[in-house]
Order: sequence, then structure tokens, then C-alpha cells
Amino acid sequence: MRTPMSVLRLPRGPDPNSRGFDPDSPRFIALCSTTISSSTDTETDSVQIGEEQCARSMLRESFLRTLIAMTNKQVQFYMYERVKVNAVFVASDIDVLNFQVSDLQTPIGVQKEALLRCQDVILYSFDL
Amino acid sequence: MAMRQTPLTCSGHTRPVVDLAFSGITPYGYFLISACKDGKPMLRQGDTGDWIGTFLGHKGAVWGATLNKEATKAATAAADFTAKVWDAVSGDEVLTLAHKHIVKSVNFTQDSSCLLTGGNDKTIRIYDINKPEAEPQEITGHTSAIKKALWCNNDTQILSAADDKTVRLWDRTSTAVVKQLSFDMSVSSMEYIPDGEVLVITYGKTIAFYNALSLDLIKTVDAPASIHSASLHPDKDFFVAGGDDFKLYKYDYSTKEELESYKGHFGPVHCVRFSPDGELYASGSEDGTLRLWQTEVGKTYGLWKCVLPEEENCEGRKFEETI
Repeated sequence: MRTPMSVLRLPRGPDPNSRGFDPDSPRFIALCSTTISSSTDTETDSVQIGEEQCARSMLRESFLRTLIAMTNKQVQFYMYERVKVNAVFVASDIDVLNFQVSDLQTPIGVQKEALLRCQDVILYSFDL
Repeated sequence: MAMRQTPLTCSGHTRPVVDLAFSGITPYGYFLISACKDGKPMLRQGDTGDWIGTFLGHKGAVWGATLNKEATKAATAAADFTAKVWDAVSGDEVLTLAHKHIVKSVNFTQDSSCLLTGGNDKTIRIYDINKPEAEPQEITGHTSAIKKALWCNNDTQILSAADDKTVRLWDRTSTAVVKQLSFDMSVSSMEYIPDGEVLVITYGKTIAFYNALSLDLIKTVDAPASIHSASLHPDKDFFVAGGDDFKLYKYDYSTKEELESYKGHFGPVHCVRFSPDGELYASGSEDGTLRLWQTEVGKTYGLWKCVLPEEENCEGRKFEETI
């Protein structure tokens, strides 16, 4: 009767909320070329990093505010293959991979509830 | 006292896992990529199976996946008629290469500068990753869908296996066929071992080993069931195979003796590969899981920990492995 080999733990599974590739992992920090250089650089670089971070935060905040402003409004989505559809924007998922919309007007009818794949969207516009 | 194999199950995929590949050994360990019919290939830490990230972007089943040696780039082949190149550190999509039909196979050159693709349009293509807008070099000749296309002989030649029941060796520069092998049935899988120039081919219940340069047959081994994939250990002392009966088989390469067989998967095994250090092998199945198996059961490695009573030291001891 053989003893089963012991295991420290099971392999970690995917995180349901993100696509992974942890930016805090040593491999990411070492290999990912970003516009932000390491913190051991000179003071001028630190200033540049600071400015860049400010700009990034501002842009991110503006984007998130547009999502809030868009909620329950009619939005026009311009997508690939010359697709232009109107829908009421409801919500976005955390990685901005999908937009939840209502009353999506398509050439073959109105879809009460739908998910739009964000990577298929070229631009979208709405009236404030 | 012999230990029983405890496979590590990696869950996450929601459909059959059809292909998997390991990277080389990098300063951060080695990595594993899995191709799945759910369209979402995943990257995992090779020695533990821990999920690192999912490559999002394909709009159809992913039939083939590969990593470059350094695990900095990934490539995938999918039913959405595209092959994609990814940054394997950030997970970002770097390139989309449009094809005219389902793409089944992708393979990087040693320096990661070129990508080989093959699929249902029966044409082998070579893309320069640094000049993706340039037209790829095309190699035609196969009369059926290509299952696998691999670089060999220091990236100067190409090996391809197709549903036309042939395996062909092509010269990269002239794009002409150098040699061809014909079979009575479709080849189910192909693995190329650069060190020693060995080609592992599976068809029906047979696992066949060829010299990759001359395509001379070295030996064949027959398994109890139809085999979908096999892999030769880096030291060429063992090989493993899996197929229709859901089991993993381990054989002695020199004697062709079946050493062990393991049940565990709940569906046919589609792909099996040894890790670059030979310490484990990974299998992908119709059941949607990947399993990691120890080559030497009982050894402390990765998540496997040898626990013996009292102060007995079990490192390095060889355990009797019985069928």
C-alpha cells in the first residue's frame, strides 16, 4: 500500500477579477519597459516620474468620470466593420473589457440587454 | 517505501486543453502556456502550476500556443483565423497576424525574430516579427490541413505534420521539400528535441522516434490505447504519452518497457510535455485541466514535498516504481 506523495498546497488558480500578469512581481518589474524608470535614478528623473504619475492619475480619473457621466445615457458606439450602434450605457467591468448596455439598436432589431466587447469599439460618444 | 504519484491539477480553463508548451529555463524559473478551446490561453509558473495570467483577445478556440526560450514572448494560433504574438511579461497583445483559415500551430525561432505558422489553409508561413507588415514567406505543398510546424536544425529547416498523413522536412531558404515521411494514418502530434536532433511522432497507438535531420526511423513503441501526444525526457531515458484512455504512460526509452501508468484525467489526454529540467511533465486534457506529474515520484520539487516519519532523509533516494 503506497503512501501518496505529499503536496505543500494546490497550484493557484486564476483570479476571477483580473487577467493577471501582476505588475508587482519581480519579473514584471525587471523586464517590463515602461516610461517609469526605477526609483534609484537621479532627482530630475524623480521629478519626471512625479509629473508623469500626476498626468496618468488625471487622465484615469477623467476617464472614470466619463463612465459615470455616461450611465443611463444614450451612447453611440463606432466599431470595426463600419458598425455604428446606439445603446444605453449601463456599466463597465473592472478591466474595461466589456460594456453592459441596454436597448442596443442593431440592424436586425433591438437587443434589450447586451455586452459590447470593448476591444471591438473604436470610439464612442454621448451628449452630456 | 515507494510513494504514489500525486498529480497537481491546474484548473481555470472551461473547455478542453488542446496544446501546451514550456519555455526554457529563465532567471525567474520556467513557464508553461496552455491553449484551450475557450479562447483564453493561460500562462503558468512551470514548476508549481500557479496561474500568472490569461492572454485575452482571441475570438475563437486557441489550437496552438508557444513561448520563446526566455518566456518574454508568447504566440498563439486560433480558430478566429489569426495568430497572435504577446508580451509574456505584461500579457499585452503585440501583434495580430491575419490568416485565411484556422491557424493550428505557432513556433518561434531560437532568437525569437521569426514566427512559423501553419493551419487549415495548408500553407506554412514565416513572419518576421520585427517587420510584421511585410508579406510572410510562404511554403506550400501539403494537401491537407497542417497540424504542426516546427523549426529544426538551427532554424535552417522546418518540420511539418499535416492531415495528408505526411511529415515533411523543408529547407527554409529554398522552401523546397528535403525529405518526406508517409503514414497510413494522420499524425496526431510531433515534438522536436534539438539536443540530439530527435523527432517524436505519434499516430494511432504508436510513438515513433526519428532522427530529425535524416528522418531515419530510430524506434517505435506501441501503447495500449490511441495516443494523442508524447514527450521525450531531456536526458532521453524516459518518454511519456497520453491519449484516448485518459491515462498517462511512462516508458523507458532504451528498453521500450512500460514503467508506469497513471489515471487522473476525466477525458482524453490531448498534449503532454516534459519540463525543460525534466523534473515534471504536464498534460492537457479534454476535461479542461492541466495536470503536473513528477518524473521521480517521492522527490521534493516544486509543490511536492517528501514527508517521512522521524528524521529519515529522503532527498536523492530512488523509490522503486512499480506498475
